[in-house]
Amino acid sequence: MKLYKVAEQFAAWLVAVIVLSLLLVPIVMIVLTSLTPESFPTIPDGDVTLYWYSEMLSNTELMQALVTSFLVATCAAILSGIVGTVAAIGFVRSEISYREELATLMLLPLMISPVITGLAIIQFSSQADLPSGYPTLIIGHSILTLPYVFLIVRSRLVTFDDDLREASRVLGANGLETSLNITLPVISPTVISAMVISFVVSFGEFTATQFLIAPDATTVPVIIYTMLRAGLSPEISALSTLLIAIMVLGALISGAVTRST
Amino acid sequence: MIFRNLPVPTSVRERVTPRHLVAFGLGWLALFFVLPILVLVWQSLGIGTGEPLSAYQQALSGLYLWTIVRSFYYGIATTIVTLALAYAFSYFVVFWTSMKNLFLILVVLPLWIAYIIRYLGIQLFFSPTGPFVDLFGTDFGFLFSTRGVILGMTIAYLPFAILPIYNSMNAIDRDHIHASRVLGAGSLRTVYSVVFPLSLSGIVAAGLIVFILSSGSFLAPAVLGSSENFMIANMIERSYTELFNIELAAALSVIYTIILLALIAVFNSYVNLGEVFENI
Amino acid sequence: MLEITNLTKYYGDHLAVEDLSFSIEEGDFATLLGPSGCGKSTTLRTIAGLIEPTEGTITLRGEDVTNLPPDQRNIGMVFQSSALFPHMTVKENLAYGLKMHGLDDEVDTRVSEYLDLVEMSGYEDHKTTELSGGQQRRVSIARALAYEPDILLLDEPLTGLDRVLREQIRNEIKQIQREINVTTLFVTHDQQEALSLSNQIIVLNNGQKEQEGTPESLYEHPKNRFVAEFVGKSSRFTGQPDDTKPSVIQNGSLTFAVDPESIPDTSPNTDGADVTLYVRPEDVVIDTSSTFQNEFDATVSHIADVGSHSEIELELEDGTPVLVEAERFPDLSVGEQTTVGFDPEDVIVL
Repeated sequence: MKLYKVAEQFAAWLVAVIVLSLLLVPIVMIVLTSLTPESFPTIPDGDVTLYWYSEMLSNTELMQALVTSFLVATCAAILSGIVGTVAAIGFVRSEISYREELATLMLLPLMISPVITGLAIIQFSSQADLPSGYPTLIIGHSILTLPYVFLIVRSRLVTFDDDLREASRVLGANGLETSLNITLPVISPTVISAMVISFVVSFGEFTATQFLIAPDATTVPVIIYTMLRAGLSPEISALSTLLIAIMVLGALISGAVTRST
Repeated sequence: MIFRNLPVPTSVRERVTPRHLVAFGLGWLALFFVLPILVLVWQSLGIGTGEPLSAYQQALSGLYLWTIVRSFYYGIATTIVTLALAYAFSYFVVFWTSMKNLFLILVVLPLWIAYIIRYLGIQLFFSPTGPFVDLFGTDFGFLFSTRGVILGMTIAYLPFAILPIYNSMNAIDRDHIHASRVLGAGSLRTVYSVVFPLSLSGIVAAGLIVFILSSGSFLAPAVLGSSENFMIANMIERSYTELFNIELAAALSVIYTIILLALIAVFNSYVNLGEVFENI
Repeated sequence: MLEITNLTKYYGDHLAVEDLSFSIEEGDFATLLGPSGCGKSTTLRTIAGLIEPTEGTITLRGEDVTNLPPDQRNIGMVFQSSALFPHMTVKENLAYGLKMHGLDDEVDTRVSEYLDLVEMSGYEDHKTTELSGGQQRRVSIARALAYEPDILLLDEPLTGLDRVLREQIRNEIKQIQREINVTTLFVTHDQQEALSLSNQIIVLNNGQKEQEGTPESLYEHPKNRFVAEFVGKSSRFTGQPDDTKPSVIQNGSLTFAVDPESIPDTSPNTDGADVTLYVRPEDVVIDTSSTFQNEFDATVSHIADVGSHSEIELELEDGTPVLVEAERFPDLSVGEQTTVGFDPEDVIVL
């Protein structure tokens, strides 16, 4: 019995270590290989250098892609933040038939493979004479991130106290004043957190994005993929480490905003 | 600051109802998502070209048919491996540790990091100059093979499986487990007859998500596989960017999506997908 | 002041309020009393304008407000959950209603005046989430009153508070209402709150009005069994009227003497139908030294001291329980044989 217990405990810990290693080792690999003094991405044994970071910073194409990614992610987060919040408010408040089915429709961009979404949007955009590059990228990313905002804001609204709205109405505010003065401020941390998530998702999206880019508007993940095709290099690791830093920062901001309520 | 006496005409204010907000959200989705998809479906039919539906003929034969089969085969394999690991891990976190939050943070953290970066990390780990080859002298055929693709997708989608399983397991009343133990059931038997049935909804949800995501994966075969491991997403991309055959790309998309939606519809009677994604 | 006429509310097929009419005079403290699901909250929300009635009219100060939105009714309301805005301070919560009523110039004076009224002076800049349950109710009351509404609606505002706090805030509400003489409509399922606070009670059950009147009239002259059992405690007996002796109700071995005038006309006391008798606990005397017309042997089955008095439960020979309110710490023990007695005038016959 005693031995059996020990074996059980050992197995449990072993699984935990394996799973956490699977999840975290790839990320650690990126960070470590970005510091190598070698010309190929290997774990540095003792000697570390920031050479690949300076290489990266002097690469104008990379820097341009960073700016593009930043612009696209910001605009997409704002767009999906607005559309997703408005839709979530509508869905929670209205009593339409097929409400649940229609809400599931809002989640379709999560279920349909991003390859198909990207293909459909670039086809549509060229047929509808939408300017390629930024407008197409931003609209495409706003669609890909819309389900996140919708889901997160909707679940916050479900726990939103309806009494607050009613209290505001009785205190003399009309529906619009109530939405602006009460609903929005109360749910705003959630909306901001959802928009940060959208930003991060957009910033890292590759699969749909590869269809939507234009020569003057290329995002960082697409650059990473293109470089990867040409062969591994510590410079890719450096660029990826920068992205990891931005994404972890996003996670921290989102966590801090949510905790503040 | 308080907003009031806004110069919005009463007529407009009274007419904007929650239905209009729903319509706005669905309208946006319809215009920039549903409509493009419908256009794609239309293009797949090849009406106006000499041979309508020829793209479907092509998509359902030879190499392309095999790719569709391979996608679902990889999807199922990934789902099984991922569920097994996620279940064991969740069981450990729920019943063996006191640092649940720390473990959960470590699980959620990778979700914030782009797939392409995580796949790159896996490639670096198994690359000829990486620590794995350093240690064992070989990558055991992990790189650019079926094994590598499935391992990559398992790593990528593990958090999506852990979270719903963890949530459903964590919701189990500890008294049920204690009762089972007190009644004389061993711990394996308790897992089998108490924990497993009570966490089944989480398992189904996790399986569904992992299957949807993995069968449609583009990056795993592209970064960790060879052309022999191409899945449907890679074929769609190649048909469009290399063969310039939009009808074929569209037909492949339609076939894949119809199969997937049919599977989702079957499971949707068991779990609500909205709730599934909300768990994450 | 407030007049409800033929109010009816359907939720789909479910009838929540049926053809309800009542009115409240200026300065009254009225209570809608009933078990949960009786339609009292629906009625209150219809008055506030938060729910649209299916039929009927609501008149406030002579004006038909039935179709006005809540923000145009000049009503103050306190919610079960307090419903204080979590992103605003105490002062901002009060200022919100004042500003919405165009009272910008008076914000400072009114805020301090009304916080003083609920004894919350000094809490102006506190976040509402930092306040205790009792403090939140007080601020919520001040917020509802600060812009001097025509009527104050209270929707079970004491729910979720512990007993001591409930009583404390209950007394404060009563005191504030007397002080500023605001017309008040209170909703509760607690008959004790209703009896102690109001000067008019409307008892609702299944969406219908069972009885309306002063606490005294409801307690002493309930019109039906529901009101008799819902308002106040009592011992309950059943029996058949005796055709030959109109002042006697017969139940097997027990014979009850009652005031013949109190037997309702509607109860056909000639064909031997059942009637129900109620006796309030304070009208029953234990261990009768003087003689009562109603006197029975009884066994003490339960004694509960509640501090100011004690509640004693006894059993008659046939097992019927009798409830008695007696002096505290009575010289009795469980299982003891004794007698109980009460006057025919104290028996309510329904």
